[in-house]
Amino acid sequence: MRINVGPQHPSTHGVLRLVVDLDGEQIVSLKPQVGYLHSGFEKTMENRTYQQGVTYSNRMDYLHGFAHDLAYMLAVEKLMDARVPVRAQRIRVILTELNRIASHLVFFGTTMLDMGALTPYFYCMREREGLMDIFELTSGVRMNYGSFRVGGLYRDVPEQFEPMVRTWLEAFPKHMDEYFNLFMGNSIVLARTQGVGVVTREMAIDHALTGPSARASGLALDFRKAAPYSGYEDYVFDVPTHEDGDIYARILVRYEEMIESCRIVSQALDMLEPGPFRDPDRRISLPPRWELEESMEAVIFHFKLVTEGFHPPRGEVYVPTESARGELGYYLISDGGSMPYRVKVRAPSLANLQSLEPSSIGGLFADMVINIASFDPVLGDVDK
Amino acid sequence: MTHHEPNGATRARVLESLTELGGVVSEFKDMISVTLSKSKVIEGLKVCRAEGLEMLTDVMGIDYLTYPGHRGKRFAVVYNVHDVHGGNRLFIRVELDDGEKVPTATGVWRGADFLERETFDMLGIEFDGHPNLRKILTPEDLDGHPHRKDFPLGETPTLFNDGRFIDPAAFRSGLRGDDPGLTDWKGGARDGVTSTQGELPGEGGTQG
Repeated sequence: MRINVGPQHPSTHGVLRLVVDLDGEQIVSLKPQVGYLHSGFEKTMENRTYQQGVTYSNRMDYLHGFAHDLAYMLAVEKLMDARVPVRAQRIRVILTELNRIASHLVFFGTTMLDMGALTPYFYCMREREGLMDIFELTSGVRMNYGSFRVGGLYRDVPEQFEPMVRTWLEAFPKHMDEYFNLFMGNSIVLARTQGVGVVTREMAIDHALTGPSARASGLALDFRKAAPYSGYEDYVFDVPTHEDGDIYARILVRYEEMIESCRIVSQALDMLEPGPFRDPDRRISLPPRWELEESMEAVIFHFKLVTEGFHPPRGEVYVPTESARGELGYYLISDGGSMPYRVKVRAPSLANLQSLEPSSIGGLFADMVINIASFDPVLGDVDK
Repeated sequence: MTHHEPNGATRARVLESLTELGGVVSEFKDMISVTLSKSKVIEGLKVCRAEGLEMLTDVMGIDYLTYPGHRGKRFAVVYNVHDVHGGNRLFIRVELDDGEKVPTATGVWRGADFLERETFDMLGIEFDGHPNLRKILTPEDLDGHPHRKDFPLGETPTLFNDGRFIDPAAFRSGLRGDDPGLTDWKGGARDGVTSTQGELPGEGGTQG
């Protein structure tokens, strides 16, 4: 029997459509059909200046927007040889890690929801609300942040930022432990997740699986460790891995990652020192406001940077980063103009979706729904 | 907790094998690309996988149609491969003319499936032997491949209230690398102007 799942169905976590062939209740084949959210972000970014690109980057992965902003900024900064001040790097790491926790909280809540447990979703959303307030304080919005600039941040964080993050950090691990013990010890959860949807290490390598899902299959691949960027080499943290490769392991890895992210954030807060938050290089940064009143030169730079943007030298760059879903990188090609010649996003969700079929085949149809959730696809990230 | 060889060791070993296959090595800002001929690319990818760069992360296509000063073939396909620890990375390039096919990498990595389909969908580059080469992101009824540089953007000229039109394509052409624009300004301070930073790196995007 052939069943069509989605695209309009909450359990597919977005507009994902699956064509599933069944033998009784067992899955014989499963073909993901994607593209319902394709918005041509890459092509649009090729027709905007480098700075304007940050408006689009975070809209792809709407749950971990700061990771996309950071990945895009790192690529542009590599092209421009920009020197990002330490304070800006630390704040970027804090925001990206907090956003990673927020993304994993949505994962945790919705995965439980797919198993029929409604309560954890509300608990997770309540914790996430505190993070949303922090993001709103720093960027002005709860989603689609776009507050990173080439060479730093658009402005320094307000005074309340540090106490707010610390208060949240103090409460969160205790709450999360409570939720985790409450639900992950549940015998129904264990029965439905352990040994189900297994991805072996070889399968993960063969199907280009990265991120927490790959680490649940014993692949210790984390670009924060392998190719540290934005000052990740300064922080002490572990990369949690599990060998089982089942749904339970994928949930467990993300739970442990939230704890590691908390460690990174508290270290970054301790190391946060006053200083500039943006590269003062006039090729990429706007002149300070006071200078516009005194210097015609500054007014001209301001005008030219805003209307035309800067011109990086010719070349092709790629900076791999670790988003909440896996390897994320922007392959940028500059032709010497003020707009990128080619933008190619290596978005983790599209490649990760390929592991869905081999891990679902032979399993039950009802388990497939949790299996989709366990790979944590964001369809904006899949379709670009 | 990751115990692996230092960054670059595996990459250097694979590079040696790829040069034997006739690969041309180029480097830009610590990114190493190897250009292989179309007939050797699958062999090259097999070498990568066998000798330690075990993961294929991405397949992407580039259309060099309007790239200023580009000689050589119109398209390039870039395979992004790295090792399981993430510290070694190589970009394998193949150059193609319009209509030329490249053999599929799905025999080396099953995960090349969606990645090659995306490249086909966006640029119309065909992968010979791909088991299921169909569109993946764009709608079935869309003609053409959006990431080709001759694919129109679909925007409309804007009418301003004094009867003046701004034609987006003409407006943007002033921002391209090959066009000096009105002032030939490419960023940075003019000579003799002091900056608050003190010194500025000399290299800008001069002479497009």
